Amino acid sequence: MNDAFAGAASFAALTLVKTAPILFAALGGVLCERSGVVNIALEGQLAAGAFAAVVVAGATGNPLLGLVAGVVAGALLGFVLGFAATRFAADHIVAGMGLNIFALGACAFGIVVAFRRPGASDEVAALGNAGEAALIAVALCAALGMHAFLYLTPWGLRLRACGENPAAVRDAGLDPARLRTIACTLGGGLTGLGGVFLALAELDLYSDGMTAGRGFIALAAVIFGGWTPLGAAAASLVFGALSALQFGLQRSGIPSEAMQALPYLAALAALAGLTGRARAPQADGVPEERRFD
Amino acid sequence: MTRSAWAALAVLALVGAGATLLAGANPLAAFAALLRGALGGPQQIAETLVQTASLLFPALAVAFALRAGLFNIGADGQAVVGGLAAGLIGAAWPGAGALSAALAGGTLAGAVWGALAGALRARFGGSEVIATLMLNILAGLLATYLLSGPLRAPGADGPETATLPASAWLPLLAQDTRLSFALPLAVLLALALQFVLARTVYGFELRAAGKAPEVARRAGIDLGAVAFSALSFSGAIAGLGGATIVTGVLHRFNPALSPGYGFIGIAVALVGGLEPLRIIVAAFGFAILQSGSLTMQAFAHVPRDVIALLEGLAIVALAARRAFVARAPVPP
Repeated sequence: MNDAFAGAASFAALTLVKTAPILFAALGGVLCERSGVVNIALEGQLAAGAFAAVVVAGATGNPLLGLVAGVVAGALLGFVLGFAATRFAADHIVAGMGLNIFALGACAFGIVVAFRRPGASDEVAALGNAGEAALIAVALCAALGMHAFLYLTPWGLRLRACGENPAAVRDAGLDPARLRTIACTLGGGLTGLGGVFLALAELDLYSDGMTAGRGFIALAAVIFGGWTPLGAAAASLVFGALSALQFGLQRSGIPSEAMQALPYLAALAALAGLTGRARAPQADGVPEERRFD
Repeated sequence: MTRSAWAALAVLALVGAGATLLAGANPLAAFAALLRGALGGPQQIAETLVQTASLLFPALAVAFALRAGLFNIGADGQAVVGGLAAGLIGAAWPGAGALSAALAGGTLAGAVWGALAGALRARFGGSEVIATLMLNILAGLLATYLLSGPLRAPGADGPETATLPASAWLPLLAQDTRLSFALPLAVLLALALQFVLARTVYGFELRAAGKAPEVARRAGIDLGAVAFSALSFSGAIAGLGGATIVTGVLHRFNPALSPGYGFIGIAVALVGGLEPLRIIVAAFGFAILQSGSLTMQAFAHVPRDVIALLEGLAIVALAARRAFVARAPVPP
């Protein structure tokens, strides 16, 4: 009885640990997409956040400074995406893809420059168990907070309007390009925090490929969650639980690839409309047309 | 080239030089090592041409779909299922015709993988971008599962097929190199696609659907059918590419056979202006970077990841190119 309870508790804890980075990235994605910018660069933002956090934590010995650096790195990439998408009418998909390739290349390059060997950083001062618990709480609160922001505040309404009908936002006297850039920057910061969690809470180092597709799982969570914060949070929890289950099922005969495939299959099912009437924001991915007035 | 393209190149060169200095190397020496590694001798040129073929297939796949207004960012996954089919067929095929069977099987498997995204798009209006992205990852998982489980090759350490019998190998174009008939095949394919796009009714419908979907729909073009067929053909091209890597370069299937070629292929397709013949030139240019980067790392001590860094920046700049064009003629 006690064993079963301990097993359940450790499973729940592992689920939360696996959920947190996906959730941060998914929330960053929701914010971005709600403002009308498709963000397939979540993977790169996670990696950039993890990398910057480890480099700064290693250089200063202070994991909190590392945390700040990770958030800033993610936010910078988010800003570049938003800026390119709005001010240069860049194609969101191409820009996002380019940012992924850039970020993963820059991190691999930076590891060699900063730590004088390829593949992985040294172990650095990390946030520890308390930091891990605190960040998990932050992630869950961020989901609630983003829901409240998007659906209960005037700025949330304006941001969602940017994703549905930017012309109307312009007619209301606001600059949708600016709102989109801000949303992308903030979303990038949140995603960067997911990278910080991976590097400084779950582990204490950066290694190439450590994000392991979590940015794409987060994208699947955004879609499966119907482009809403609470939906994305629920999807992230499910995907986190699946990831935690893999450790228990290794000897059960269920192939681990089947478990790993479930988030992506869920996203495809959501795209096919099998999970209800969730839809992307109307103007999601439509590049901001330049105005010549 | 336009002025903004030169400006973008200059910025990339500066970033590249800065990164090289950061790595403690001389930028000019690094660039020289890159060129020497890619073009310094017959062996190096052959290897660059191998890379050209590997990039050309996914680039053509991306371009073909994009001419129909569809983003196929899943060329890597289509190459994986194509290569998997080619590897399994090539290893098991008895007697003559193993090569043809492997290439045909790879093409078909890629087409099926592309068609899944096409069906999702045509039937449900689901984003083909997300679908192809998800199918990329699913392709890798499927290959790993099959080759470490039910279809595990006897004696294999990892998820690989057995080495193919020589009857299933693409013949070499130059002895003592890895350069096979994959390259002429890719060039022929580019010519064929150029013809289809420019000279056939189907090509016209495809371009119309991409340029002005509403007009195309009113003219009686079935947009759903175009989306389904374009993504299927696109997948077939990428799948054939994966099959040529298996039969021409690796001589066995390995899930890492297409390390980001599909993503770099997007850049190649865009630099080539989505025109198949210009894409051949662009693929050669990117192949120089890919094949020279190892020499640069070994002799100039600059991590080869700097190439990915620069390619990523170039892709972001390419994404913004529309605005570079649109910004010029501002009416008074």
